[in-house]
Amino acid sequence: MENLEFFQAINQAKTLDELRELEIKFLGRQGKINQILKKITQIPENQRKQYGQKVNRLKEEVKQLIEKRREAIKKTQTPQFFDPTLPGRPYPIGSLHPLTYVIDEIAEIFQRLGFIRVTYPEVEWEYFAFDALNMPKNHPARDDFETFFIKSLPHKKFGKMILSPHTSSGQNREMRRIKPPIRMINIAKTYRPNWDATHTPMFHQFEGLCIDKNINITHLKGTINYFVKNFFGEKRTIRLRPAHFQFTEPSFEVDVSCGVCLGYGEKDGKKCKICKSGWLELAGAGMVHPNVLRNGGIDPEIYSGWAFGFGPERCMMMREEMKIEDIRILYNGDIRFLEQF
Amino acid sequence: MNIKITHNWLLDFLQTDASPFEIQKYLSLAGPSIEKVEPIINYAGQTIDYLYDIEIISNRIDTASVWGITQEALAILPMHGKKANLKNNPLLDYRFNKIKDFNQKKYSLQIKIEKDNLCSRFTACILDGIQIAPSPQFIQDRLQAAGVKIINNVVDISNYLMLTLGQPVHIFDFEKIAQNNMACMIMREAKKGEKVATLDGKEIVLTGEDIVIEDGQRRLIDLCGIMGGLNSCVSQNTKKIILFVQTYNKAKIRKTTMTTGIRTLAATYFEKGLDEERVEPTLVYGLKLLQQYAKGGIASKLYDIYPFPYKQKEVTTTLPFFKKIMGVDIDKKDIINILENLGFKTKVNQQELRVSIPSYRKYDILIPEDLVEEVARVYGYHKITDNLPPPAFVEQPLEFHRLFKIVNKIKVFLKHLGLNEVINYSMISKKMIDEWGLDEKKHLQLANTISEEIEYMRLSLLPSLYKNIKDNYGKKDTLKFFEIAKVYLPKDGDLPEEKYRLAMVFNTDYFDLKGVIEALINELNIENNNIVDTVGKETIYQKIFLKNNCATWLVEKNAVGFLGQVKNGEKIYMAEIDLEKLMKYSRPLASYQTINPFSVIKLDLTFDKKMPYIELKRKAYQSSSLLNKIEIIDIFKNKITLRLYFSSTKRNITEEEAKNELKKIKKILL
Repeated sequence: MENLEFFQAINQAKTLDELRELEIKFLGRQGKINQILKKITQIPENQRKQYGQKVNRLKEEVKQLIEKRREAIKKTQTPQFFDPTLPGRPYPIGSLHPLTYVIDEIAEIFQRLGFIRVTYPEVEWEYFAFDALNMPKNHPARDDFETFFIKSLPHKKFGKMILSPHTSSGQNREMRRIKPPIRMINIAKTYRPNWDATHTPMFHQFEGLCIDKNINITHLKGTINYFVKNFFGEKRTIRLRPAHFQFTEPSFEVDVSCGVCLGYGEKDGKKCKICKSGWLELAGAGMVHPNVLRNGGIDPEIYSGWAFGFGPERCMMMREEMKIEDIRILYNGDIRFLEQF
Repeated sequence: MNIKITHNWLLDFLQTDASPFEIQKYLSLAGPSIEKVEPIINYAGQTIDYLYDIEIISNRIDTASVWGITQEALAILPMHGKKANLKNNPLLDYRFNKIKDFNQKKYSLQIKIEKDNLCSRFTACILDGIQIAPSPQFIQDRLQAAGVKIINNVVDISNYLMLTLGQPVHIFDFEKIAQNNMACMIMREAKKGEKVATLDGKEIVLTGEDIVIEDGQRRLIDLCGIMGGLNSCVSQNTKKIILFVQTYNKAKIRKTTMTTGIRTLAATYFEKGLDEERVEPTLVYGLKLLQQYAKGGIASKLYDIYPFPYKQKEVTTTLPFFKKIMGVDIDKKDIINILENLGFKTKVNQQELRVSIPSYRKYDILIPEDLVEEVARVYGYHKITDNLPPPAFVEQPLEFHRLFKIVNKIKVFLKHLGLNEVINYSMISKKMIDEWGLDEKKHLQLANTISEEIEYMRLSLLPSLYKNIKDNYGKKDTLKFFEIAKVYLPKDGDLPEEKYRLAMVFNTDYFDLKGVIEALINELNIENNNIVDTVGKETIYQKIFLKNNCATWLVEKNAVGFLGQVKNGEKIYMAEIDLEKLMKYSRPLASYQTINPFSVIKLDLTFDKKMPYIELKRKAYQSSSLLNKIEIIDIFKNKITLRLYFSSTKRNITEEEAKNELKKIKKILL
């Protein structure tokens, strides 16, 4: 009789949910069949084996019947409409400032050449930003129009307190920290009093400094070329042009070949629209001036070196061909700009 | 600085087979950069000349003229197989001794120079019989192409001289300043507030110490090196003129251009420092042009005040030094040729090389490295090979390595939690400081800021982040920013301490912000944390956060960060964290806990919360040693549902035991 009750109930189940409930009710740990099995203690011992087999057979039949019924119900159900083209569950999407990516990448490229990244003060003494770099007291870069000064008492030895206008201030700091060989990369915020569509009063620079025995111009060219090929791409190349900086001699302007016309200045017989002449200005560089070495306690008769200074902002815009009309957008915290990266 | 000159003008001095485009290509690589070459086309559509737009290297003002470019071309073009010969040399051709009628006494000047740091060479000569007329066509054409306004023969000649030889000149109307055939010129420093009317009709108020000329009647007749005075300028009726050629103290000229904002081409020459020796050929060539094209006649003696004439300088180096710096083998012959073509005189004695420096290179050729630059650039940087520096191991200080690593880790982590990184200026306005009741005197202040918005160095990143939320109002509903940057803590008599901070701002709710901090704690494996509901009185955060809605994050009793709702009650929540402390407490891996093999019994409990959760948690753990985890299942108003996990590390516990523990906890919490 009981068997019939199971069978009827199973066959009457209309949905998979109902069936699952029955499955628990009949076959679960506290289910009916287990309860029947527990009654085995009330059965005379000589009949117990037979009783047990009977209950197990019942359990097996119920199981099979449920499976059979499940298949039957599945067949009658129309399949649920599944749309794999719907979007997945949303995960949070944040962003990093585009310069964060660029700066990490630059540091990593130079790390592979054995250059170590350092960090030095942004609020500096004049000495490190200028005097140590062979910039005379009356040099235009040192006046009110080119450098931010801090209201404070001057240092007896190091002069006025300023916001470092370039990462080159780290050159003398590094020479004080260690003796050659020096392989330094210094990436930092720098400050100059200009604020318009192409200048921000705070910007970034990265400085490379290499000092060792027998360092010459070929090593500067090789290193910058390595950077350019890694950062801008294999096809890009560099050229040096004469320039003037107080802290290097000879000094160079470094140009990188245009990514569109690859230095030819024209593409498909037409003048290149990106670069006009085939080349884009990238950085300033040069062989470290002997006075700068001396100021760092390094003998220029024994050691020589090179240095360069790049703008990560410029590198980024040049590589990504970012059309930034107004560079101030990098630092005004506009979410519509930031969330794109 | 850029100058514009034409190809034909260059050919006045230079004989070459190089085309204008070849000249552009070769000079740009080895000398001044010729940014543009454009054909000049006449009305009939024929190309009659080419215009060069040339960028002058800042220490090579000697190249900023037709003659200067000629000198560069003489050295550079032969290296590219092009001919380059000199047709005539103005430095030799235009000497005082070529003028025969200098001893005229019709008119005179009374010159007084009040200080000896104003003018390193002062020359002048008076001409009469001047006939003002349009200048000859070639001068008009060339000046027009160069972007110089055409006025009349006298004024045009003065501009033509400047672009030809790189030495600005000024011309006064003699009669406008003379009395009894004599003009008085007192060169002195301007007084503060003194006014001068310049020839463009503007009145300039001087800040003092500018170089000016007074006529002895307290009238200023020239703002030297910048612009002439209106009261002494050449006009249609001018008959007698003073041709005036000087070299000035460059620092003073620069200061005057900056304070007055007047940037004339003459000023850009003078502020770079000019060669006193160039004054002579300029004056002589000027007399020649004025005689020829303005009918002028010399009518005074030559005035030449030149207290410290140039003495020939020498730089000594060795031939192997060139190879040492350039890294390529370069012939002795090439070195000598290049230097000689640039106008240097050389003497070789075995390995030693002695080089005499012409006056126009006295400011930029001082040491052997300067000579290497001259040789290397003309030889061609493109011929120098590429090498990587020899390998060397330099140890990065561990603290630098750790800093960059953790900054990067935190940035990437927060990005993946949905935050947007922002980079703000390190300087903020007084308004942003006042807004939070902070003391601007405790901030470092810029002495020469260019805007009130960037006047003080940040002590905290929070004022900037608050502004970020405000500035983005209406652009996006949910805003979650973070920034990692330095703050600048002033120190007595020393540079400020520059400390890295991590700061965040949310416009959602307090627990959203706190959740991110807790996730960060987990990511960085920081142990022994507590976030307590007070903020120390001594901190600035007391002023920034609402008193009852703020908290301090403690690690081992040390405050690591602060968080809370902004004081004005807006739904803006901020946190600021000390990055160095994060570095100190963070660990690369979490500490390992032995997996407990024994049963865990979970029991839920719902009740009215009567104390802060942190207190409640502490008490619960105190009252039961089998409790090892609490989870919040639900909070509704003051009703809280907790799930309590009971277990022992020594044995399986029974449900009964767990229920007994729950009773103990209930006794304390309910």
